[in-house]
Formats: sequence, structure tokens, C-alpha cells
Amino acid sequence: MTSRASSRAGGADDAADTGGAVPPGERPLRLGARSFGPRQLLVMAIVNRTPDSFYDRGATWEEAAAMERVHAVVADGADIVDIGGVPAAPGSEVTVAEEIRRTAPFVAAVRAAFPDVVISVDTWRHQVAHELCAAGADLINDSWGGWDERIPEVAAECGAGLVCSHAGGLPPRTRPHRAEYDDVLADVLRHTLALADRAVALGVDPSRILIDPAHDFGKNTWHSLEVTRRLGELAATGWPVLVSVSHKDFIGETLNAGRDERLTGTLATTAVCAWLGGRVFRAHQVTQTRQVLDMIAAIRGDRPPARAVRGLA
Amino acid sequence: MIASAAICPAAPLLARELTGLDPVVPELREACAAAMARVVRSRPEVIAVVGPGPHTAIWPADGALNPAGFAPALGSAGTPAGPRMPFPLGLGARLLDEDGYQGPRVLQAVGINEQPGDCLRLGARVGRLANRVGLLVMADGSARRSLRAPGYLDPRAAAFDAAIEQAVRGGDLGPLRAVDAALARDVLAAGRPAWQVLAGALPGRAPAVEVLYADDPFGVFYLVAWLAGPA
Repeated sequence: MTSRASSRAGGADDAADTGGAVPPGERPLRLGARSFGPRQLLVMAIVNRTPDSFYDRGATWEEAAAMERVHAVVADGADIVDIGGVPAAPGSEVTVAEEIRRTAPFVAAVRAAFPDVVISVDTWRHQVAHELCAAGADLINDSWGGWDERIPEVAAECGAGLVCSHAGGLPPRTRPHRAEYDDVLADVLRHTLALADRAVALGVDPSRILIDPAHDFGKNTWHSLEVTRRLGELAATGWPVLVSVSHKDFIGETLNAGRDERLTGTLATTAVCAWLGGRVFRAHQVTQTRQVLDMIAAIRGDRPPARAVRGLA
Repeated sequence: MIASAAICPAAPLLARELTGLDPVVPELREACAAAMARVVRSRPEVIAVVGPGPHTAIWPADGALNPAGFAPALGSAGTPAGPRMPFPLGLGARLLDEDGYQGPRVLQAVGINEQPGDCLRLGARVGRLANRVGLLVMADGSARRSLRAPGYLDPRAAAFDAAIEQAVRGGDLGPLRAVDAALARDVLAAGRPAWQVLAGALPGRAPAVEVLYADDPFGVFYLVAWLAGPA
């Protein structure tokens, strides 16, 4: 056993060898009052205030159930809760007033109950974002890629963070239909970096900006796999990368797995994205996601094992 | 003169490699191959493939299907730089290749925003390419036929597609000439300009028609048909 230790000792390059893992960006990420180092992997727990979202199917439509979920995910290790009032899929219209009614009182209640948890709000509308920031939200998760151009103004005015996403130019709540790219990752980079630059120019604090390739949004399964495989190119920009893959259709299509059979694929994708430099992971299953990220952190050498006695006694 | 014409959808999933391990729609591919075979059997001197593209343009006849835009992992390393041929034309070229057709071919893109009158004139021009022209039209109907459809449900989609299907089944393409471009855009019917090229190429009643497939397994209307040219 000592021979292994001695054989490593001579390799000067070993210290720099990351085994192919892409080092995350060097910038700290600030969300609300908190600051996260560049090697910290964060879980963003999904809390839907919708009666019809694809995975939870209205499980947290009732306010009491939603608050119960917030308590549970925080206890399970979520760093961020992402509250949304409109499903991504097409369906019956949710007006601005209705979206605010669904989310604003709830954001205020979560803020009151959890002064330190980071609150993200999943909306593409600036009016809604404004109300929710006033109610205590720290981060605007604009998952439809800057469709409403006034979103960054709201983030700047409220001192909130902003997620700059790539939805392939699709209007909110629409599905991709024969989306075709010369180079999907180049398009993701161009669009998200342009949104980030514009946000900075409009006064958003650069340390509060993330980019998100938005798997499945404006993308077919092949595109989402490519974005996953090349996530390191996004991380290499230095912007913190948000990864949102939980139970999405590209996983279902890849594994021929129904809506309730995608957890394994979700966690596998999460592991790859973390390895390639993703920083924040939007998830339905907080416990399992946290475990995957802790394991990746340990493999990378950023986190010691919880308990190592094997062969050491 | 048109010797005979085939209509096939321009759906990416017709490219077998794009659907992964599952062939997904083998019956649709077989219907397309059968319609194409009938065009080849009608002894054309040239086959024109017409499909929607960003602009009206003729593409090099040796152009081939390149799936890279839909599946980067499947792109070939030797793909030439420069603009990529519209996918519908690649799909049509592949149908010709798979049939073993080796005669002359013209790959004609028709601009998605081309006005109906210009599409009809283009169709008439295609019909004059030779004494016996085989025509392969890559066109499909609305992508908004159900709640699960790519474009969600548009209540106008069913009637829109039904009118197209009825015209083709009757061999009288007159109704295709008048298809409203704005409505077609609303219901995400990408085939509109290509159908109008077909209507321009076949102005009279087709003496024989065979519809090989008409269904919407994914909320997009696919129509596969063969039409005989004027007797």
C-alpha cells in the first residue's frame, strides 16, 4: 500500500491533474445575503405553486403543502428554493395578476419563516419579478431566456440576482418544433453571454448573475445531450452555471423512461454536469441531488469523506 | 409536364438515425418509400425535390441529408463549411437514394415566406423542366393538432389539414392554391409553400391518386400520397 503513495510522490504534474474535471469559475456567487465560493455545489429545490406542473402535478398547489415542502427541502440541504407559479408547458393562460396571486404572498411567507434561505423566483414577466422581489425574492430565474426585456431592469433596481437562460428564442410556454442549430452550444454561449452582458450594463451586480443552457427549452434530446456533454465550455466562461435537468423529457427519451422513471437519469446527468463545472442544480429530489453533489465534491477533493475508517484502523 | 408526384412529410424523425434505437414511425417511412417508388416507376427524365427553406433557391444536386442541426453528435466530420441545405431537401434526396434512383435531380427550396402566387409560378416552372418530370414535395400540415402537439392546440388546425387532405384525395389541387399563408403560419403548417408549388405544377385534376398515410401520431399532420400526372 505504501508503494502507491511513493509512486505518486514523484509526479510533479499530479497536483494539477484534475482527471478531466473542469475547474469551476473563480467568481464567488452572491445570492441574497449569502456568498458561495467557486467550488461550492448548490441545490436549488423546486417549489411549484401550480396545479399542473409536469412532474409534481399540483402536489404543492395548496399553500400549506408548499410551505411544508420548503421546510422539508431546507432540512434536506437545499441552499435555494425556486418558486414558480406558471408551468413551462403550454396550457391554460396564467395572467400576470394570477401569477402574482399564486406566488407573492407565498414568497413573503417563506421570507418570514426562513430569513437566510435564498429565494429564487421562476418567472419571465418583469411585473411579476418586481412584485416578488418586493416580497423578498433574491434571484430571478428567467427561464425563457430574456423574452421580457425589462427583467434585468427589475433585478438591477431590486438588487436581485438573475439567471440568463437559452430558450432558443422560443416564446414562453411553447415547445420546440424542429429546432435546428449549426452549433447548439455556440448558440447557447452567444445568447446567455449577451444576456449577462446586457444585465451588467443595466446595473445588475455581476456577482449575482448565473447562466443556464436550459435543457429541453428550444432543444430536442440530441441538443440537450450535446449541451450536457459540453457543459464545461459554459463553465469556462467564468459565469456560474445553473443546471436544470430534473426529470426532463430528454432524459425520458434517452432512457425510454416515463415521467416517474427518470430519477436515475436525472442524477447521472447531474453528476456529469457537476463534474464539468456546473455550480447550481435545480432539483425535485433534494436529498438524492445533495448526495450526488457531495460525492462529486469528494471525488474532486473539495470535500472530505463523511467518515473514513476502512483500512485505517 | 408532371409524370407523377409524391407528397411526403418533412419531419426530422423520418431520418432513421435521429430517432435513436426506436424506429418510432416505420410505417410512415415505408409509406414515403412506396410513394417515391411510384414516382420513379413513372419514368421521369428528371426528379425535382421541392421543400421549404429559408429562401427560394436551387441547391447542388449532390447535396445530402445532414442531421447535425438536429443532432450534433451525428454530424459527419467531413461536412463542408458554409450554409447547410434545408433539411426537407436532404430528406427528399435520401428518399431518392434509398430507392436507387440515379437519374438527374433538382433540389429546389421554396422560401417559407414566398407568396402563394410566386409558389404557383415556381411550380409551373418546375413542371416545364422536362417532358416527364417526377416531383417529390416535402410538406406537412399543422403542428398544433392537440394539447400534446409541438405547438399546442389550435382549434383551426383540424379543419385546415382536412381541407388539404380532401383536396389531395380528390386529385383537385385547386383548394391548395388559395391556402392562406397567415393562417398556415398560425397553425404551424410548414408545408404551405411546397403544397402551392405542387398546385402550380399540377394545375388540372390528377387522373389517379393514392393516399398512403394520413395521421398525426405526434400532433403534426403527416400526409403521404402519390398523384398521377395529366394523362
